[in-house]
Amino acid sequence: MRSTSFSYLIFATMLIALGAIFLWVPTEQEMGIIQRIFYFHVPSAICAFIAFFLVFVGSVQYLRTREDKWDRLALCAAELGVVFGLIVLISGPLWAKPVWGVYWRWEPRLTSMLITFTIYAAYLMVRDYGAHSTQAPRLGAVFGILAFVNVPLVYYSVDLWAADQQLHPPRNVELAPAMLYTKWICYAAFFLLLLRLLAQRMELARIETAVARLRQKLSDEV
Amino acid sequence: MSFLGRALAILRKDLQAEWRTKERLSPMVFFVLLVLLVFNFSFELGGAALHEIGPGVLWSAYVFASLLGLGRSFADERENDALDALLLAPGDRGAVYLGKMLGNLIFLLAIELLSLPFFILFFNLSPGFFLVPLLGIFLLGSACLASVGTLFAAMSNNMRLRELLLPLLLLPMILPALISCIEATALILANGRFEKLLPHLQMLGVYAVVFTVLSLMLFEYAIEE
Repeated sequence: MRSTSFSYLIFATMLIALGAIFLWVPTEQEMGIIQRIFYFHVPSAICAFIAFFLVFVGSVQYLRTREDKWDRLALCAAELGVVFGLIVLISGPLWAKPVWGVYWRWEPRLTSMLITFTIYAAYLMVRDYGAHSTQAPRLGAVFGILAFVNVPLVYYSVDLWAADQQLHPPRNVELAPAMLYTKWICYAAFFLLLLRLLAQRMELARIETAVARLRQKLSDEV
Repeated sequence: MSFLGRALAILRKDLQAEWRTKERLSPMVFFVLLVLLVFNFSFELGGAALHEIGPGVLWSAYVFASLLGLGRSFADERENDALDALLLAPGDRGAVYLGKMLGNLIFLLAIELLSLPFFILFFNLSPGFFLVPLLGIFLLGSACLASVGTLFAAMSNNMRLRELLLPLLLLPMILPALISCIEATALILANGRFEKLLPHLQMLGVYAVVFTVLSLMLFEYAIEE
């Protein structure tokens, strides 16, 4: 089966990534062993934003075509974006405690990520609790579009608010070659994981809808 | 009737209804007063910390009040199924959004202006020139709140748990604008330089324009039955 061989590929990539992180890559001089969390933190952040972009794509396409598959993409990508965002928000403070001395600082990057996370958590709340099942995809799509447009505004305004507080390492830190290779392996592993989880979750959502329809049909007949 | 004509007709209807009943305006102003009162026990508003907490307290009170007020803007239409009649009107439904949005904007501005004297009183400010730029921030901030707020009010109008969901939708989305409102207000109260104020004004302007345009485009999908 294709999905099985894809899973093996991800498994192999993850093993290589873990080997690189824990056995091969040299320990960073200043921060020590805790710096290794970076190889989980940064790829998760990138995956979260890829997922948020997919929510946008799914939302726009759903409103254009009204095909369920686009709504499933938006919903499942939002769930994964929130999960990867949570990994970022948990791994960040774990790194910050030994390096900064505190778990949390209200500085731009942390604050922006937290706000973005809450926006997509709100998206999931709308989908789960707010809307009736017939209108959930449509209202979700409207919110999914607004949410994505808001992300750059969040980053811009938070930067304005606390630009002088920046302690978070910048995006373009120069890395030793071994660290750079490890980083790219981790990007690959996380990206493949994102794709696999997304495919799995979308298939599950498709089955959920099919089952709900069948159940409806049965109860109508009785 | 032109697009703008229809929007203005809805605006006039809403203002007229509000003028006759005042059922949104007076409770909201009273609500802002109560929020200021509650904050007073947390922060001692009249004290020296005015510049640190004053703007945040003021805008928190306005945002909370706007949450209540925005929720009402479509609730009245729900009664007697008036919304269906509005949607049956021929032409682009964006006009309904624009009319409602302008109504909410005027309404929010009215709350802010009417409760500003309490703020000045409680914070021991002396009225002066700072009020002029402050009104500009009020105008921009209210436009930001009304732009997404009106769309979300229309969306949550159809939802279960609507009173609960409107804040969940609006608060995280409005944060970028809120940050700039608070920062700009703080700068004005501290007699900050205009160059420092400018990025916040731009931020608020961009936010209001972007989300008004997007909402005009998306409103049709938000209320479709």
